[in-house]
Amino acid sequence: MHRMVRHVLSATAVAAALAGCASQPPPTASLDYKSSAVTRSDGGLRVSTAVLSAAESEAVYGVPLANRSIQPVWVEVKNQEDRAYYLLSPGLDPNFFPASEAAEAFFSGAPQDERTALDRHFRRLAFRNPVAPGATTSGFVLTNLDEGFKFVNLDLVADGRSRHFSVLAIVPGLRTDYHISEVFRQGIYPPQDIVNYTDDASFQAALEALPCCVTNEEGSRNGDPLNLVVVGGLDDAFPAFARRGWRGTEEKWSGSIMKVVNSALSGERYPYAPVSDLYLFGRAQDLALQKARDNVHQRNHLRLWLSPMQYHGKQVWVGQISRDIGSRMTVHTATLTTHKIDPDVDEARSALTQDMAYSVTLAKFGFVKGVGAAPQSAPRENLTTDPYYTDGLRCVLVFDQTHTSLAQIEFFLSQGIYENGGQPPGRVKP
Amino acid sequence: MSRLPFAPRARGTLRCAIRCLCTLSCAATLALVVACSTWQAPADFSTSGLRERAQTATRHEIRVSAAVLSAEDRRQMLGVELDKTRVQPVWVEVQNRTAEPLMLLRPGTDPDYFSPLEVAWSMHGIFAPAANARINAHLDQLGFKNPVLPGETKAGLLFINPERATRLLNIDLLQRKTLIPFSLFLRVPDDAGEKWFAEGLFQPHGSEIKDYDDLAALRAALERLPCCAADANGRANGDPFNAILVGEFADIATAFVRRGYRRSTHPADALERAFGRMPDAVVRKQSQAGAPATWVRVWITPMRFDGHSVYLAQVARPTGGRFAPREAQNLVLHEDVDEARNFLIQDMMYSAGLDKLGFVTGVGPVSQAQPRTTFSGAHYFSDGLRAVMFFATRPLSLSQVQMLDWEPYLDWRQSPARKEIDDARK
Repeated sequence: MHRMVRHVLSATAVAAALAGCASQPPPTASLDYKSSAVTRSDGGLRVSTAVLSAAESEAVYGVPLANRSIQPVWVEVKNQEDRAYYLLSPGLDPNFFPASEAAEAFFSGAPQDERTALDRHFRRLAFRNPVAPGATTSGFVLTNLDEGFKFVNLDLVADGRSRHFSVLAIVPGLRTDYHISEVFRQGIYPPQDIVNYTDDASFQAALEALPCCVTNEEGSRNGDPLNLVVVGGLDDAFPAFARRGWRGTEEKWSGSIMKVVNSALSGERYPYAPVSDLYLFGRAQDLALQKARDNVHQRNHLRLWLSPMQYHGKQVWVGQISRDIGSRMTVHTATLTTHKIDPDVDEARSALTQDMAYSVTLAKFGFVKGVGAAPQSAPRENLTTDPYYTDGLRCVLVFDQTHTSLAQIEFFLSQGIYENGGQPPGRVKP
Repeated sequence: MSRLPFAPRARGTLRCAIRCLCTLSCAATLALVVACSTWQAPADFSTSGLRERAQTATRHEIRVSAAVLSAEDRRQMLGVELDKTRVQPVWVEVQNRTAEPLMLLRPGTDPDYFSPLEVAWSMHGIFAPAANARINAHLDQLGFKNPVLPGETKAGLLFINPERATRLLNIDLLQRKTLIPFSLFLRVPDDAGEKWFAEGLFQPHGSEIKDYDDLAALRAALERLPCCAADANGRANGDPFNAILVGEFADIATAFVRRGYRRSTHPADALERAFGRMPDAVVRKQSQAGAPATWVRVWITPMRFDGHSVYLAQVARPTGGRFAPREAQNLVLHEDVDEARNFLIQDMMYSAGLDKLGFVTGVGPVSQAQPRTTFSGAHYFSDGLRAVMFFATRPLSLSQVQMLDWEPYLDWRQSPARKEIDDARK
């Protein structure tokens, strides 16, 4: 018997157990993920979820999904409301894999009957909509692979109603990221150091008093401007990033550097590349996210540091965003390559603001000073000597758990301050 | 520790480094040839030609005009030759006669738009820093700049992914607690191809229009539509019509554009016929690394509902998807057409344009064991339902989508395909 079919058959037993067939043997060690699932409730919905490690996903699916950068997320929904709910896969990952498509990743060289078996197996494991009133449904959504941690964002919709759940999943594996969960608990600051702002004027003053820029490790040189403030946390801000395709980045390590180089040569979209460390509050970024575009040359990336501030009880993250428009050689990094950033750093900041307008949970946004203007005629340089210029503003994005429409987004803080507002008009004749 | 286990990786790294150097040196040589270190910004450019052919719309005291640049405009205005198959510059002017500032949301026009300096970077030459700086400065000032303050009129370029023949331009303007969307159909200069777009989108051909004003009557009419497309000879065994789109074309187009669908045709699209003609429009979801992804083929029907157009559609994806061999040119229908339909619905939930959703019969259930074969030789199975999606202009949140109490939608639960899976499980 072909090895793949054997794998699939053994995995079928696991799947049957998962589906709750009482006659099946008890779950094996590969079902550990289910016992470590995180559970959340809202209204009459109870949701449990777990992200599978490479070994677990191979045990369940019978094929090495991680080798094709596919990561199953297990979701169980118990619906005790009066209407059917639908789980939205694009909310977990806008570039998710339909079950049938993921199966096709393993079709190469397999005869037709094996392809059919594989396809059926994948579709049987998939999460099935809808979740009828009174029912409990479980299954997998296939997402792009994240290592270390993953923002699991679950949007469920029903007739005239929606519910939202969000979980920070620590992905078991070689590079499991435990620092991140500590950060989200704001455990890096003692409670007495945390300042909660409830009026906009003092919040604005505090944001404007932050340093202009990130620094190198010694704090002796300034780098990219701190042009971004994200207000919110796991329940509101990071789900918004997940919905719009923003994902964690790898730490710098040789394996990922080579993946980037290969990706650069082939022009393929490599959604997952390392960023170099920059410093604020005496430490490297707590979190780096990026949004892949058509290929590795084109991506937006941002770094965030959790601050000791809060705004109406919400976490306040301070960070830096820039747009990579290509790769170039440099002597300022150990890898001798760096991303060429768009010198108009304000453009990347506006791109994020505009992207987040479509994220479903952006409640309000505005601008504060604090970066210090650097005109085009006298640009500043970041740590890898890329020039940049800016209007000197930082963008403040406030997220809320409530699903809002594009017609409900509020502007704040920016009395008289408008992004790019001070720029001279272009040469195009009116 | 033995070094041996690392040898293959080291060889791979070396090969990679050599490939990298080769590519870089080729690129450098090319760039040197292309680069013109004496580049100068073109003289001031008059927009009168653009204005003449611009399309204009006014709504809520806001006027938007737009035109796609011709080859001549690109040469005169940009002063650089852009690869027109990769970037399409569009001139946009926004006049704000309201009391609040406006912000143009670029991802609403193209989620994969380019920044002006990104376009400039692709034009840079090596060893020409002064010229590169001039290219940067020039393209930067040509780009559209937010915000548009009360009483102000602003014009500039958007650099977006190209569409041929007719540019469907969506402009989302954000105001405090308001969104004002515009949709314009722009002629693409210097492009005589793809004549069959936009001709049939607004006016049904040759048939009397039937207007429905209640949902039950509309449902009955939708169920009577043919199951599948016909071929050029009128034989009805093409791909299934598994979706219906109801709404103004601009609202439907806006929803698709926001979710990364672009107009894109393939020779296979033209084989599918409804009402005796080829699709009036075809859009494809842009997937990673340019791999082929879900397509939606659309025909206007001679029906209207509450004054809105009703479109018949095919939703499917090609076999292989993102994992198809790169050289594969043939787009073969993937057999699970329901999956593609269901995920299109989910995508539309995030478009802010989906108002109502329901399911009607009409395709006819087809089991996976006895799939239907199309005239192209593809096979498919289905639960037999078509999804009916109603679109609105006002932006809606996820909690505002109304689910119609029509055909119960139970995914695979009751479909023949699902039954087979259950049988196989026993």
